[in-house]
Amino acid sequence: MENELSRVVDALPGLVWTALPDGHADFLNSRWLEYTGLGSEEAKGKGWLAAIHSDDMPHLLEYLETIVASGETGEFEARMRRFDGAYRWFHFQASPLRDPMGRVIRLCGINRDIEDRRRADEAVRVLEGRYRAIVDGLPAIVTLLSTDGHVEHANRYMLEYLGTTSEEMRDRAVGQAFHPDDRPEVLKRWSHSAETGVPYDFEARLRRADGVYRWFHTSGFPLRDTEGRIFLWYFLQTDIEDRKRAEALLFGEKQLLEMVARGDSRSAVLEALCRLVERTASDCYCSVVLADSSGKRVEHGAAPSLPSTFINSIIGRPINLEAGPCGMATYLNEQIISVDLTSETRWPSWCPMALKHGLQACWSTPISSADGKALGAFAIYHKDPKTPTSLLQDLIEQFTHIASIAVERVQNDAALKRSEALLAQAQTLSLTGSFGCYVATDEHFWSGETFNIFGYETSANISFKLILERVHPEDRPSIEQAIESAANGLGCDCECRLLMPDGTLKHVHFVAHGTRDHSGRVECIGAVQDMTAHRRSEEALGKARSELAHVARVTSLGELTASIAHEVNQPLSGIITNAGTCLRMLAADPPNLDGARETARRTIRDGNRAADVVARLRALFAKGNTVADTVDLNEATREVIALLLKELQRSRVVVHTELAGDLPAITADRVQLQQVILNLFLNASDAMGGVEDRPRRLRVRTERAEDDHVCLSVQDAGVGFGPENAERLFDAFYTTKLQGMGIGLSVSRSIVESHQGRMWAVPNEGPGATFSFSIPCRPARPIGVNSVSAIRPPAETDAQHIVRTL
Amino acid sequence: MVDRSLVSVIDDDKSVRESLPDLLNEFGFAAQAFSSAEEFLASIYVGQTKCLILDVAMPGMSGPDLQRELALRGQGIPIVFITARRDNGVRPRLIEAGAMECLFKPFSDTALLRALDAVFRGS
Repeated sequence: MENELSRVVDALPGLVWTALPDGHADFLNSRWLEYTGLGSEEAKGKGWLAAIHSDDMPHLLEYLETIVASGETGEFEARMRRFDGAYRWFHFQASPLRDPMGRVIRLCGINRDIEDRRRADEAVRVLEGRYRAIVDGLPAIVTLLSTDGHVEHANRYMLEYLGTTSEEMRDRAVGQAFHPDDRPEVLKRWSHSAETGVPYDFEARLRRADGVYRWFHTSGFPLRDTEGRIFLWYFLQTDIEDRKRAEALLFGEKQLLEMVARGDSRSAVLEALCRLVERTASDCYCSVVLADSSGKRVEHGAAPSLPSTFINSIIGRPINLEAGPCGMATYLNEQIISVDLTSETRWPSWCPMALKHGLQACWSTPISSADGKALGAFAIYHKDPKTPTSLLQDLIEQFTHIASIAVERVQNDAALKRSEALLAQAQTLSLTGSFGCYVATDEHFWSGETFNIFGYETSANISFKLILERVHPEDRPSIEQAIESAANGLGCDCECRLLMPDGTLKHVHFVAHGTRDHSGRVECIGAVQDMTAHRRSEEALGKARSELAHVARVTSLGELTASIAHEVNQPLSGIITNAGTCLRMLAADPPNLDGARETARRTIRDGNRAADVVARLRALFAKGNTVADTVDLNEATREVIALLLKELQRSRVVVHTELAGDLPAITADRVQLQQVILNLFLNASDAMGGVEDRPRRLRVRTERAEDDHVCLSVQDAGVGFGPENAERLFDAFYTTKLQGMGIGLSVSRSIVESHQGRMWAVPNEGPGATFSFSIPCRPARPIGVNSVSAIRPPAETDAQHIVRTL
Repeated sequence: MVDRSLVSVIDDDKSVRESLPDLLNEFGFAAQAFSSAEEFLASIYVGQTKCLILDVAMPGMSGPDLQRELALRGQGIPIVFITARRDNGVRPRLIEAGAMECLFKPFSDTALLRALDAVFRGS
């Protein structure tokens, strides 16, 4: 039986033992002995204590005594040494065994190995500690809330921020620390999240320990157990005060810049700017003063929160070092900081006035233009002595910049308006409009003058169709072509006529060039000028020019004649003198034969020299550089008549014209031909100079002749000539006139012959003669002219001719 | 023929310089020819010259230039101008300025003789 019991005891899942009330063991089961490696006899009595960890020993003994004393069952944990010397934790459970008298006579115990459980517990504890450390160490505010909204845990930062303890926190109602304005929304959102399990996300102001509210962003996430039930809410709160402040500032700046862009008045913008700074920096007053147009004094910009008595005493102060901080900042174009006006000495007249208004600190910063010029100053005043923080300095820099944009914008706007007005005026004066268009999309941007030129209302929706409607039908193809080249990004330069609704014509000149805008679209930019008046004056100019040419033609003929006369007169003079001398020598008694021979020889030489001049004259018109032109002989004739009309009237010559209507144009040197015609007219007029018994009639006739020739004849009623002289007329120096040189007809014939034509003269059946020439419409060979100097003989060493005007 | 009066001819044209002195000799004058006013002024004949036959247009000093120069020097030599340029405005201007005559080239021997007669009859 005892053996049977012993086997049962040994089979129990634990180390089983019994001991006397004094702690002496009297039984240890075999598991106990196996574990400790102690022998049964060795362990009995006090021997078993050797298996207990010395650190746990006192407590163990105490515990055993307690059980004995109380008679109650007890539990205890202690480390036991294994046979190999390793200690493991065991759970001791012991019960007292009593005698019939109720006295404890023995303790029965069982020890279970809890080492593995202890280790697991320890691991959990370490982990928990680490988690807590992590939560506390997070640079954010973390709160754990129970599902009913009670704070389970608030991390160190939360407690520090709120200035409270975790105990106090536990008693707090949810949402208590939020700004009263934000609290209702916070609670509403929390209940919604708590009910639905939707994560919480909201921004609200949280009260700091010192009573200052700062903006926080709160995110809340539910933690769920394995069955999906929420058992905890985890809240992360991030301080977004700086961001909120930056956002507010940015919003304010945006509003200010919008005001600037919208073109709000300068004072409205500057006032809004002052208010924004006052709101952002708190407990301060702002003002803006500006340099007036002379740059010598300050004028009012804005000061919405400062008393008007203070402002009025500032306005008009000079910009210098003494007048005050704003004048000084503007003058020096640098920041002037006065931390305490009570001890300020720089502005003796200004300081008492500022102090009287309760201002004790003033920081004045110049407002500078883009090119660095001081436009004025932005000032911040405080009621207490104060030094600007770097944050405030940043703010000041930012806002003086915005102020400069606002001020410059107003100035630039004014300048732009002026320049726009000037441009419009310039366009009106010069009758030039400008335009731009996107060819592909048929979008057009016109200046006022362009609308004027086209005669469209500025409200008209301009399109190529509308443009082409105005263009004269005959010019449309060229404009369509210009539009096409513009579409290809090419330029165009063309003139066309606009047919206005009232039927008038406008001559316009377009110049445009293609370009690509930033998005790559082809844009055509150009100008259009109304050339109508210009064209008219050009026509008038052309007329004046041709009249001038007529005069020049006469002059050049005169010059030619004078030059010819001079060149021919020289040798003629020699000839006549020599001939006279010769005669006298021969008439002498005795005749000076040698002298006469010498003078006769010189006469011949001078005669040849004169002939040379004429030969060169002929050569001049027979070849050389003639300007070949298409000439209407009728028109050329009419021009000569118009030119000579006064002269002919004075000579009482009546001109009859019979100009053929079907005369073809000819290729000729217009000026030379007109000289020939002029010469014929003058000859005819001269020939009738002495005619008194009949009308001095001059008949000019043009007609087509054979072989594609045109013919012009001038018939006079003058002295005429005998048939025997018909050919000699054209010889040089042959003249029937008292004043004549006999050069004109010779030169004229040369000119006609250089045109491959023919010139002749016939006596009239009645009085007078008819001089005619005919020339081919299209000469077979080129025609030509040289300069007058070509008729001069080769320079003689001692006979250079310089014609001087007296 | 010992005391023949000296007539000086100044012309840049060679034909004139060759032909006129012979004619002047025939008229009974002594004659000297110069191709320019400068040449004449530099010569020894200025003082002896009783009459000048002077071309108007010459390179360098012109006829009227010489006329003015002589007037400035106080040498009032009678002048008969000759010119190949037929300009009706010239003659009155030159006569106004003190010239005895102005002949247009080509001039006849009789016209010249008439002019010289006028000069020497006057002196």
